[in-house]
Amino acid sequence: MAERTIKVEIKRQHDPDGNAVVEKFEIPYRPNMNVISVLMEIAARPVTVDGKETTPVTYESNCLEEICGSCSMLINGRARMACSALVDNLEQPLRLEPLSKFPVVRDLQVDRSVLFENLKRVQAWVPIDGSYDLGAGPRITPQVQEENYPLSNCISCCCCMEVCPQFNVATGFVGAATIAQVKLFNDHPTGKVLKEERLHAMMGDGGIQDCAYAQNCVVACPKELPLAQAISDVGRQVMLQAVKDIFTT
Amino acid sequence: MATATNPSSGSAHRGVQPLRAGQGHSFLLRKLHSLSGVIPIGAFLLEHFLSNTEALKGPAAYAAQVKFLNSLPWVPVLEWGFIFLPILYHACYGLYIWSSGKSNITYYPWAGNWMYMAQRWTGLIAFGYIAQHVYHLRFSGVRLADHPGASFAKVHHELANPWMLALYLVAIIATSWHFSYGLWLFAAKWGITTGDKARRRFGYVCTALAVALITLGIASALAFLNPKYKYGWTESPSAQTTQSQLQMPDVAASK
Repeated sequence: MAERTIKVEIKRQHDPDGNAVVEKFEIPYRPNMNVISVLMEIAARPVTVDGKETTPVTYESNCLEEICGSCSMLINGRARMACSALVDNLEQPLRLEPLSKFPVVRDLQVDRSVLFENLKRVQAWVPIDGSYDLGAGPRITPQVQEENYPLSNCISCCCCMEVCPQFNVATGFVGAATIAQVKLFNDHPTGKVLKEERLHAMMGDGGIQDCAYAQNCVVACPKELPLAQAISDVGRQVMLQAVKDIFTT
Repeated sequence: MATATNPSSGSAHRGVQPLRAGQGHSFLLRKLHSLSGVIPIGAFLLEHFLSNTEALKGPAAYAAQVKFLNSLPWVPVLEWGFIFLPILYHACYGLYIWSSGKSNITYYPWAGNWMYMAQRWTGLIAFGYIAQHVYHLRFSGVRLADHPGASFAKVHHELANPWMLALYLVAIIATSWHFSYGLWLFAAKWGITTGDKARRRFGYVCTALAVALITLGIASALAFLNPKYKYGWTESPSAQTTQSQLQMPDVAASK
């Protein structure tokens, strides 16, 4: 009798400029596998379903518990984390593709540095650098902590940007993750010293105005960040700043 | 991996570019787009739908309303400054917004994503319809500003064609939807409804508004086809008519 197997189709690309091809694999079934363990299985014996020898599939992963944010990819067409995508819950053949809106490095590995660049442009940090010890920062009330803690859960996986109809080459939209971090650091008692600069950055081309509230980000976010809430809060901050600018600059 | 090149060094401008902090005018243009949809276009839309319900009272009342609107001061300025040009800007910038976004409903068939797509299609339907509507009823045929008495007959003539009636019904639904959801988007984007609950509650308000507009719009459109006025409004009691001193030019001849 034929053994139970898992059928996998993987979109592969040898280098950033290469042509993408789909390779099909079939591996023995084991219960409770996730997509990463499927890729490990293929790496152990990289032979396609036609018996052709190939290379192990390149992908990023680290923590395997949905906390590092590195293994996001398109699984059956949808952006999600490969580590928390359980094979038993997925339709077969499994279709694995790299995120479609980020430059492919190789196979399933993409270059997501645009998010890091965006975070730098909005100064998503608490500025504490100085030539002397600044001492303890101001206290953060439990109420503020409670509101902001969920925003600090962002794992930079870029799923919110991948699923956003507004995030693409034409708009150069900044995406939900960065906007959420603007809220996080604007609400921080020390971080808020850069609030005005962050809000002005948010008004630049590709800024918050390009959000069209499709709210795919809210559904797709593996860490369930309150992204619509963050976007509308920052939207208010930006509007108030814009009105203030009319009269004070 | 040591031999692999750093992806961010060699290919700095591949893919989506990062935020252009502090650069460009899209913030202003985008805000003007969303503001123009509410004021003046949305405000005009409400006036227009309400004025059209006068048709339910018959040709004389409708003519009186048209006459009243044309008696407002600076009508050409109102028309161009508060209706035509804002609609033109809203439509053109809206098409630009549509062209830069990319709907992905196939893989993410979620409620907000459907609304995102619907907002674009309803906007297109509304714009196409408005273009023909304004051309037919404002810029061709009998000039209603000079002959308000001909208003009912002119619209009746337009809607007598069943294809045109179908277009009107579709356009009324699309326009009402576009405005109501646009109002919801305006409140969300301008930081008026920042809470999840507030947005949900305002969503109910906007849904009710859409239903009300669609109902009023369809009722008004069908009023023009009321068999009572099949042979023109002159056969109806003329008490209101003489009061407002209206003329009835020959619509067919002036076409």
